Amino acid sequence: MISNIVLTTGLLLILIGLWGVLTHRNILRVIIGFSLFGTGTHIVIVAIGYVTNGTAPILDRTLPMSEAISRVVDPIPSALVVTAIVIGMAVTAVMLAYTIRLYDSKKTLSIDALMESKW
Amino acid sequence: MMELVGSILILAGAAFHFSAGLGMLRMPDAYTRMQAGTKATTLGNTLLLAGLAFYHPGWSLKLLIIAYFVLMTNPVSSHALARAAYSIGIPMFGDSGIDALRDRDRKLRSET
Amino acid sequence: MIRSLFTILAIVLLGAVFATIAIGYSEQQSLRPLAESYVQLVPRDLGAANVVTGILLTYRAFDTLGEVAVLFMVAASAGLILGAGHRRPEERGEDVQEAARPSSEIVQTGSQILAPLISIFAAYIIMNGHLSAGGGFQGGAVIASCVLLILLTYPEHQINVAFLSIAESLAGALFVLTGIIGLIAAGGFLDNHILPLGQFGAFFSAGAIPILSVLLGVKVGCELSVILDRFRPQP
Repeated sequence: MISNIVLTTGLLLILIGLWGVLTHRNILRVIIGFSLFGTGTHIVIVAIGYVTNGTAPILDRTLPMSEAISRVVDPIPSALVVTAIVIGMAVTAVMLAYTIRLYDSKKTLSIDALMESKW
Repeated sequence: MMELVGSILILAGAAFHFSAGLGMLRMPDAYTRMQAGTKATTLGNTLLLAGLAFYHPGWSLKLLIIAYFVLMTNPVSSHALARAAYSIGIPMFGDSGIDALRDRDRKLRSET
Repeated sequence: MIRSLFTILAIVLLGAVFATIAIGYSEQQSLRPLAESYVQLVPRDLGAANVVTGILLTYRAFDTLGEVAVLFMVAASAGLILGAGHRRPEERGEDVQEAARPSSEIVQTGSQILAPLISIFAAYIIMNGHLSAGGGFQGGAVIASCVLLILLTYPEHQINVAFLSIAESLAGALFVLTGIIGLIAAGGFLDNHILPLGQFGAFFSAGAIPILSVLLGVKVGCELSVILDRFRPQP
């Protein structure tokens, strides 16, 4: 039940991010759309790893080694998402660097000014 | 009993967060939007942490430190954003002519 | 008009595909075999209490090395695009202030209180990677946020980019060196048995995982700080 709600939220975020990328004319809003898209994907990946009534895969005195297997959620999607978040942020940094150079040369933030390679 | 009080506080915090989102959508101007976002979310966060402290009394010290951290960072960042918005010249909605920062800058410049 | 029609069509079709995924999904009742073997192996074999960090720094350590390489490439490309000294004032337009406006007293006082707190918090997150939630990447990002706070508060202060670049490269080289030592002295590349496993749950335990966490944290923090510094307007 919980992972169904989280999965639906993640998929909705992907749709909203995709709509934002396709619709807006301002570069900064397109970049925010990309970021939403990425966040939605991370939420979907983490939601798939949920085991019913599971808890975080960290062993301490409330979760001894012997009963770890039966009470723990899947750790592998979490590990993948840790990497993915950092790379998503790095790609956003490159996009913002391109935005600064485009603004310097075109003096506007609208993507309608970048029509040179369109036929 | 403790859980009931905690739940009411968490519900109040969530209601303040919702009003923050509503305010950001409906406010006419950048400055009023920043005001709605900061004040309501800081109060919502504090109420949420207080409600959580009723659920888990053993976590009270950690939650107090988190609340202190939130109270330190939210207003400072909103202040910096509003000053930056003012200095690049974002216009105020319904300008009644009262601008304390402009008056203060003018006074400082005429004194030096 | 036709473009917005195609946009709506794309979103609706994708929404239909997502709806079939969301409706047909049923929660997992028990761990899959690979996850079960990881949850069993990491505490016993590696001595780490945090299963996710154990996976990231030993069993999937090659992916972590690849991510370190991707971050370095992004830092290089951000430096290339924003090229130091290429943005001359005359091509920047009329909305340039004459000098960096000094920050107000509230921001300065706030950052004087917050910067030590954030640094301690970042060190805590990095060192706790193998015991509780945390790790190298998370702590490195918090270090970069502390540097960002200082950059915003004192806009005239030039941070020492050369030192950060050298620290970052050194941390990356030591990371690979630790991996090669694992190849020579223990089971394989980036194996953590080169140091004794210690007592489970103690601060100095889990072999080489704390050292790898610290090196990762330093590398990611310095890298993100260098990227942030490139975004400042050049005088």
